[in-house]
Amino acid sequence: MHIPDGFLDPGVAAATGALAASAVGIGLRRTGTALDERTAPLVGVTGAFVFAAQMLNFPVAGGTSGHVLGAALAAALLGPWTACVVLAVVLTLQAFVFADGGVAALGANVLNMGVVGGLGAGLILAAGRRALPQTRGALLGTGAVAAWSAVMLSALACSIELGVSGTVPLATVLPAMLGVHALIGAGEAVITVAALGAVLASRPDLIHGWRGTPGVASAHPRPVLGG
Amino acid sequence: MSGLHDLSLASVAGDPRSAVHRRDPRVKLLGLGSVTLVAVSAPVSAWPAYAGCAAVLTGVAIAARLSPATIWRRARVILPLVLFAAAFIPFVREGRVVASVGPFDLTAEGLSTFAGVAAKTAIGTVSAVLLGATTSFPDVLRALERLRTPRLFVLVAMLTYRYVFVVAGEVRRMRTAMRARGYRPRHLLQAGPVGHAAGALFLRAHGRGERIYLAMAARGFTGTMPQAVPLRLCAADVLFLLAAAVPLVALRLTLEVMA
Repeated sequence: MHIPDGFLDPGVAAATGALAASAVGIGLRRTGTALDERTAPLVGVTGAFVFAAQMLNFPVAGGTSGHVLGAALAAALLGPWTACVVLAVVLTLQAFVFADGGVAALGANVLNMGVVGGLGAGLILAAGRRALPQTRGALLGTGAVAAWSAVMLSALACSIELGVSGTVPLATVLPAMLGVHALIGAGEAVITVAALGAVLASRPDLIHGWRGTPGVASAHPRPVLGG
Repeated sequence: MSGLHDLSLASVAGDPRSAVHRRDPRVKLLGLGSVTLVAVSAPVSAWPAYAGCAAVLTGVAIAARLSPATIWRRARVILPLVLFAAAFIPFVREGRVVASVGPFDLTAEGLSTFAGVAAKTAIGTVSAVLLGATTSFPDVLRALERLRTPRLFVLVAMLTYRYVFVVAGEVRRMRTAMRARGYRPRHLLQAGPVGHAAGALFLRAHGRGERIYLAMAARGFTGTMPQAVPLRLCAADVLFLLAAAVPLVALRLTLEVMA
């Protein structure tokens, strides 16, 4: 799903870049300036985990590639806004150090996977928390829905950007991307549910909003880092 | 497929004492970034702009003593995948049909879009590869920090980078253990076992991550890396940035005026 340089119209690249920058800016403000000894390793390990997961890449007809996203897992552990920041960081590292995803297309990639994927998954998880009882089944169920939906929403945003740029007609890229990502999303849902189940079984305190767990974005009495 | 083996591809290559390696990371980030921006923002058939970008990148690669083989080894991770995906463009773009392959029609518009996209992608990829090969990761972070990237963003990047190696180490240990127990995956993607392994991997990496972080905090880590030598721009740095960016931006603007 990483859009390389050259596939986007400069106007689309600039517009998506502005949208992504403002969303990540809000995410940074919501996370606050401080990470403490509980949140710093969680943020770092989640980032590294998403980074590793996204390296499993395969091409999709019509101009781009597909891979596991990790957005729903990040949102379930960190909450939507911090997940959005972590995904943006991962995508930036991939663009600058591994040449994966274009530097000029970074805004679009952050918008698709970090903002649309991360915040979308976060909204679904938050809705599930409000509407359903706080049980293991409900968390894993909404986790699966959030994982599949995040992948599909990201693929949809990616297709629209490629279509609007005129690189490939929307009518071609949209079914190709959504078709492949319906399958990738199912794989993502299985992995997200398994990972969430394991975390819930041994470290339920790491899950954002689970029975009153303090989120990463909430104030903590002892900020150690970056304050 | 497993990218975790490719972490060495993110390390510095070429001659570490070369004129490019010794440049301030900020000018490398801005200089190589502007090459990418010039190529990407150019119209699809702006071949003089692409040639100019390629010339600058070649110059940087030669000055850094990076062999084509080294660059290819790093670009190979991404580039063929992207070009394969882009190869569908000539068939799906509508326009004047120039040839047919089976039931599919190749269009002239599609072919020229493909050529332009391929050139832009190649320039963007090689430019990022050159940055990665001439600048260490902590230096890229320092450059981002000095270029006023929000501190929390840089901190998250720093932690992510640190913990990528923790995750990679846990993957290696778990693979060894699974092989020792006789696990033979029959399909590349067996979702069930992959999911369970992912859950266990996360918990193990997090457990080690917590201990590592506490050890870092105990040694005085406060969220920024201590810097032995502060970044300072010298005349050669400014010259590098001017040489990399000015002719290309001028060329790009000339093309804009002529169009």
